[in-house]
Amino acid sequence: MIPVVRRNTELGLILLAITITAATYTLASLATTADLPADIGPFLGVVLALLAGAHVATRRLAPAGDGVLLPIAGLLNGLGYVWIARLDEELAALQATWTAVGILAFVVTLAVVRRPRDLERYRYTFMLAGVGLLLLPLLPVVGKTVNGARIWVELGPISFQPGEFAKIILAVFFASYLVDKREVLGMAANRLGPVTLPELRHFGPVVLAWAASLLVMTAQRDLGSSLLFFALFVVMLWVATERASYLVVSGLLFSGGAFVAWRLFDHVQRRIAVWLDPWSDVSDQGFQVVQATFALAWGGVAGTGPGLGNPDRIPLIETDFIFAAIGEELGLLGSVGVLVAYLLMVGAGLRIALRAEVPFNKLLATGLTAILGIQSFIIIGGVTRLVPLTGITLPFVSYGGSSLIANYILLALLIRISDDNAAAEPDALA
Amino acid sequence: MNRQIRRLGAGLLVLFGALFVQLNVIQVLRADSYNDNPNNTRAIVRDFSRPRGQILAADGTVLARSVPSEGRFERQREYPEGELFAGVTGYFSFIAGADGVERTYNDVLAGRTSETAGDLGELLLGEPRTADVTLTIAPEVQRVARDSLGATRGSVVALDPRDGAVLALWNFPSYDPGLLSSVDIEAAQAARDALLADEANPLLPASYRETFFPGSTFKVVTAAAGLSSGQVTAASPRYPSSSGYVPPLTTTPINNFGGGTCGDALFAILQVSCNTAFAQMGVDLGAEVLVGQAEAFGFNDVPPLDLPRVEVSPIADVASFTQNAPVLAMTAIGQNAVRSTPLQMALVAAGVANGGQVMVPHVMADVRDQDGEVVDRFEPTVWTRGTSAAVASTLTDAMTGVVERGTATRLAVPGVPTAGKTGTAQLGNGLSHAWIIGFAPSDAPRVAVAVIVEAQPGASEQTGGRVAAPIAQAVLSAALEARP
Repeated sequence: MIPVVRRNTELGLILLAITITAATYTLASLATTADLPADIGPFLGVVLALLAGAHVATRRLAPAGDGVLLPIAGLLNGLGYVWIARLDEELAALQATWTAVGILAFVVTLAVVRRPRDLERYRYTFMLAGVGLLLLPLLPVVGKTVNGARIWVELGPISFQPGEFAKIILAVFFASYLVDKREVLGMAANRLGPVTLPELRHFGPVVLAWAASLLVMTAQRDLGSSLLFFALFVVMLWVATERASYLVVSGLLFSGGAFVAWRLFDHVQRRIAVWLDPWSDVSDQGFQVVQATFALAWGGVAGTGPGLGNPDRIPLIETDFIFAAIGEELGLLGSVGVLVAYLLMVGAGLRIALRAEVPFNKLLATGLTAILGIQSFIIIGGVTRLVPLTGITLPFVSYGGSSLIANYILLALLIRISDDNAAAEPDALA
Repeated sequence: MNRQIRRLGAGLLVLFGALFVQLNVIQVLRADSYNDNPNNTRAIVRDFSRPRGQILAADGTVLARSVPSEGRFERQREYPEGELFAGVTGYFSFIAGADGVERTYNDVLAGRTSETAGDLGELLLGEPRTADVTLTIAPEVQRVARDSLGATRGSVVALDPRDGAVLALWNFPSYDPGLLSSVDIEAAQAARDALLADEANPLLPASYRETFFPGSTFKVVTAAAGLSSGQVTAASPRYPSSSGYVPPLTTTPINNFGGGTCGDALFAILQVSCNTAFAQMGVDLGAEVLVGQAEAFGFNDVPPLDLPRVEVSPIADVASFTQNAPVLAMTAIGQNAVRSTPLQMALVAAGVANGGQVMVPHVMADVRDQDGEVVDRFEPTVWTRGTSAAVASTLTDAMTGVVERGTATRLAVPGVPTAGKTGTAQLGNGLSHAWIIGFAPSDAPRVAVAVIVEAQPGASEQTGGRVAAPIAQAVLSAALEARP
């Protein structure tokens, strides 16, 4: 019974997501061309086909999997597409292709990974793959610098951001590694007043992850990914060992590293300076953030309406700053709606983690959910100037093939774990 | 592990809560201030296709109007007078936003204020009730200002000291706002790029947005400080005749223009613009008195002129003059630690002319809706009290003497008693700005004026009395006719 209920919920929500997407698409077209979108038929057909495909895959491959994640991802993906199409038609065509590939990756992941613990066996393969992908852009010839960050790899006609995939692969590796070592790492060896600290050598992995994230920050000049990788590892380590001291020590390490980076590297200094005061240089360094603020403010509570704002003046609007475009045209209602969508996904992900019986599943679900939550916080916080801006994509919404495909794989893994939970204890769902 | 997972959830909830608060701050609490930010062009873009009121000169001459247009935008903004009023009207541009009256009175012109909102029916029909803005600018005075300054960098400000109405506001070089406001966006962008690349910076309305050393025109402020403090009267002290005043703490003397010798009581030293005497007066009065007097005339404060981004005229703070008599001496003769916009020096003249009170300067006379009804009118208000009426009266006599017998004889309007003060602000490289401020008639002033002819290579001999005075004289004459 439960699988059927979940799948029907999923179907209903998917239809709702499609309706919202199509309505927004139509409104944006009415606003910009004063006409119904010429391709509304094909558009609806493609959206329906893609999400229906994913839905059929979950019915077949993970019938008891969570029914909320896919519709929300579909909605975010759809809204992202509407704004990309409204801003740049060429990118929209590519994004449609990436969406199709992403959903294909979703289906393939569900089909290949039949049991989560299959992944656990290839721990060190994953480690090598993750670290390799992370460092790949630093290699000569294939590595490529775009907009100041060396995070691209160009292999013949294909270019992609390996970091987007590395974060998932590393989450898998961390989960399997920590499940194995959590007892040892969690042992309290030293007492420091009221605080119990693990043995000093157990901080080795923390220092390693810290060094790797500093490398990403300085050599690849990618502040957002650096923060994301380190936060991912620390959160998983903390959850696995149940030792808050890891959080504290890691926090101190990161603060120290960030401080030194701030002193040494002018690209870090620039980001901080712009964060603290974008107004002193509004036409150059502060331009992007100031324009994003103007866009959000112009949207007010209800927004200008899809297609009726002027978000096109913000650089990188289709990728890092797409949230500002949505905030301008849908207003506070829309921007908070997007926040709620991510919160619902985070909630669903953590619920999956809580219900998981197998420690590996529990940790992996936690890690994957943390990626989703932290990444969306970092970029939305950057766009709204709550935290310094670090270029990183908004999951499912931003333009970008690597990001979209990676996030659909992440989604498939979460649904796979959820399905596994239900199989392990069918009563728990009642 | 479940406890940690729940805490992770709580932590993420807190982070997203912070995002929620920040979004409310940007999109609701501070939205209005962001929307009004001068760097934000969104309001202009929204208004670009809509009906927009006219900007008219005092005599009804159309300075800016919107005419129907084909293509992407339904309307095109036109400036029939070209560059003549650019510094006042500003522009209304899709790419560059708005400046001048087009920005200050954007809501009125676009019909978005409560005064012009009309009834509910009109609101629902979406017909904006645009309004026309009539300015105090008198085109004939503006034209005389342009013609007499000619193709030389400089600014002319003329206003009525009694109510602060600006009659002329000209600076050369200027630009044609029509180029920037074109509906042909590429052409407008090209025009803007060219204007921005122009080293002469024609987009800058220097008359109220650029500061210069005021030179000897600032001696009016120093004299006012002496009179107001009671330490100086028309009769005493009599400053010693000198060709070089050496301030305390230095051995470098301050010399008189042309190396002359001068010194006597106030009227005499103002007539010949005696550097040594005024430098000594400044040092004797002290920084507190001098800076206080300058601030009483409006220095260190943004003049409330109804145009965007009016520049403040700065004078260094009192503490910076401590143990620094040489700088204080230089400041008393309008060099070193004081800078002024042409507007601010015009306001000094206007303050003296108006019995010591500086009125709020303004370019808007009234706002009328489409039925011709006046919906807003500028009410004259005092901005700041520069001096007492008695001090203003003594200064007026002293400045009248400067025109009758001193360095500003070329300022005299035939048949009208005229008051003035010249200035030649030296830039240390052999070049100088030529200044003059003045007003007329001195017994019942109706017009105050400030003119600066900026330093130019090859014109090392230009003085305020020779170069700036004839321009100010022509403007005064024209303005007295326009303001009977």
